[in-house]
Amino acid sequence: MNEQAIKDLLYKLADDQLILGHRNSEWTGFGPILEEDIAFSSMAQDKIGHSLAFYTLLQEFGEADPDTVAFTRNANQFHSSQLVELPNGEYDFSLIRHFLYDNAEFIRFEMLAQSSYEPIAKVATKLKGEVKYHVLHANTWIKNLGSSTEEAILRLQSSLNEALPYALGMFEKSKYEQELIDTGVYAGEEAVKAEWLKRIQAVIEKTELKLPDLESTAPKYGGRYGDHTEHLQPLLDEMAEVFKIDPTAEW
Amino acid sequence: MLKSLDPRVTRLNLPEGALPPAEPKPVLDQFETYETFHQKKEGAAYTYVGPVHAPNEEVAFLFSKEQYSRRAACSGMWVARTSHIMVTPYVGDDENVYDVIRLEEPTERSEQPEPYEIFHLKKRGKAHTHAGRVVATSYQEALQEAKRQFGDKGPIVNVWVVKSKHVLQSAEEDKDMWLTVPEKKYREATAYKVMDKITKYKEEQKSTAP
Amino acid sequence: MYGGGNVFEATKFDTLQNEDPAKLAEFEARIARGEKIEPTDWMPELYRKQLIRMIEQHAHSEIIGALPEGTWITRAPGFRRKMAQMAKVQDEVGHAQLLYSAAETLGKSREQMLTDLINGKSKYSNVFNYPAFTWADSNIISWLIDAGAIVNQLANAKGSYGPYCRALDRICAEEAFHLKYGHDAVVHMATGSPKQREMIQAALNRWWTPIMHFFGPPDKMSTHTEILMRWKVKMASNDDMRQQFLDMYVPKIWELGLTVPDPNLKKNPETGKWDYTEPDWEEFKRVINGDGPCNAERLAVRRTAEERGAWVRRALLHPKAKYVKPLA
Ligand SMILES: [Fe+2]
Ligand SMILES: [Fe+2]
Ligand SMILES: [Fe+2]
Repeated sequence: MNEQAIKDLLYKLADDQLILGHRNSEWTGFGPILEEDIAFSSMAQDKIGHSLAFYTLLQEFGEADPDTVAFTRNANQFHSSQLVELPNGEYDFSLIRHFLYDNAEFIRFEMLAQSSYEPIAKVATKLKGEVKYHVLHANTWIKNLGSSTEEAILRLQSSLNEALPYALGMFEKSKYEQELIDTGVYAGEEAVKAEWLKRIQAVIEKTELKLPDLESTAPKYGGRYGDHTEHLQPLLDEMAEVFKIDPTAEW
Repeated sequence: MLKSLDPRVTRLNLPEGALPPAEPKPVLDQFETYETFHQKKEGAAYTYVGPVHAPNEEVAFLFSKEQYSRRAACSGMWVARTSHIMVTPYVGDDENVYDVIRLEEPTERSEQPEPYEIFHLKKRGKAHTHAGRVVATSYQEALQEAKRQFGDKGPIVNVWVVKSKHVLQSAEEDKDMWLTVPEKKYREATAYKVMDKITKYKEEQKSTAP
Repeated sequence: MYGGGNVFEATKFDTLQNEDPAKLAEFEARIARGEKIEPTDWMPELYRKQLIRMIEQHAHSEIIGALPEGTWITRAPGFRRKMAQMAKVQDEVGHAQLLYSAAETLGKSREQMLTDLINGKSKYSNVFNYPAFTWADSNIISWLIDAGAIVNQLANAKGSYGPYCRALDRICAEEAFHLKYGHDAVVHMATGSPKQREMIQAALNRWWTPIMHFFGPPDKMSTHTEILMRWKVKMASNDDMRQQFLDMYVPKIWELGLTVPDPNLKKNPETGKWDYTEPDWEEFKRVINGDGPCNAERLAVRRTAEERGAWVRRALLHPKAKYVKPLA
């Protein structure tokens, strides 16, 4: 099995979760309803936890420990999609991103649970239940708000329009795509994307939202290869501010 | 713009200085309340854990799951809208409410008997637990049925009665949502053990002391 | 989290004269027997009013209390701290939710309480009007402010109002994590690099006065609270709680080689009590009345959260919904 290919896969999974978990944690204490504040924080914690699980697998391949990997790399070393690094915006944008991202995430976890690479399969099987709740949460909110007031529908629609090119960027293929598919490690981005479209469409159809025309939407690629928006580096600097006071210290 | 020690607050782009007085609110700016019941483990009685504010029962479930089961092991959760629960008066800690209250004639009956869930409070300050399910055509009849079936077991200071159809129950196949809860050690007190560090520090101090 | 220092309304005894003496006697007998009061029980108006006020202040302290430590939520160093800091701050929001619900059973809506908070009509614990300058400040809060809150909350959990007790039981269980987490973080700093040690000592120095303020003014300065104690609304005196805190935590501070910025702090072998320099109670009054370093920001943030979240609530409100209090 190609080690490089698996490492690449692990990095993109872990980096996505770390960055989105970090972004979502910014909402703690600022949410629209106390209960939602709590739910959103739990999911952010889960995401950070998922990234930790995948960085731990990477360590078994000889990569540095999870703290070093997460807190000391620069933006161009991150394999996360650009979707996850975008600022939170207002709650409609965060919710739409959560909906677009977690639906894809759940499909990835379902597929990875069948991976021929056992350590990944194990982690995915174990954590799938958490993501299931994330998707239930996301879909329930979108269904509810997406068919409520004009104000809410308008907000969600404009966030959806804004986020969609970035969401399509999640499915940017890796150099090792075919290899991962051939060896049964991962079903590949095409497969995830096809299933993702089905599922998000099924939700959107129950609302008054419209999925923008995919033909004319250019995906925002680059993230998987270290090419990021101007938002990622400041996020990383902030995240590592204390850690970098003394990276050798135990905090 | 307000520059805060908290970078998150800085990003809220709040104006510096005093805000203008808040706009008066619409008449009701909060959701209805739902009551949550939690099952610790398979076979255990569902126990009352508290309310959430939510626009409907599916959202109430989302909220209750994280507010009331993010920590302890959980194998199931029920939510019911507060206004759907009928409540008896409360009696003293050594009394049985079924003996004290006069069971009233039903004001409304359903054509077909339907299931009701019965919850008992055994002691003031504790939580209501699920006593069981009865079939009846009204709340009052359900209460009578409850008295007959489970009304003689020790002090019962208060009873809640709710139609089963008004209780959203978590699905069997969704139990995996709670699978990893007991593993989230970072939010448990037991994960933090520093005695070793303290002892080591004290010893170092002793050995370097003049 | 919450200390003493709650502002009780001066108890006007004449309000009791309007109460039905038989019912009042029954109510007091119930409390004396050690039974809890539940929401639909008869209760004197004064009891209801003071409880609402106390639980509401406690709830506000939790939601505002999420902000000082929230300051460091995006900067917590390393996975272990990052996840725990998130969980800890989340718990405080959760505590607010539980406490607002408990207060709601007494007849004041959450919405009204939040409005009163934002408009500066209701108070919250003074300490949260101080800034968390560094990560170390956040650690001191997690450990010592939560420790203080636990002293208070454990006492209140034995109070007479059922819903408040139920909420506090859940809260105290979570506080155990906060306390251990905070202690763990402080120990790491205190036994770590010279820079870390310096950071934690500086933070402790900054927080000492707010910590001493936390339990409220000395008993001799507080308003008459005898009836609130008999009704098991107020469960321990400010001074008793402060003494209990000092007894439990000063030794734990000292064993780390940290110092407390009060040369007079020592346990008096004769009285068995701690002697200390009275903190500046004028400052306490000033801050509680709105003139602390962070009052304006704390309220502005809370208000912004409410206002920017209003569209979500507007979208899903049922136009015909009637207000129903939670049951318990
Ligand atoms: Fe997730
Ligand atoms: Fe708290
Ligand atoms: Fe706490």
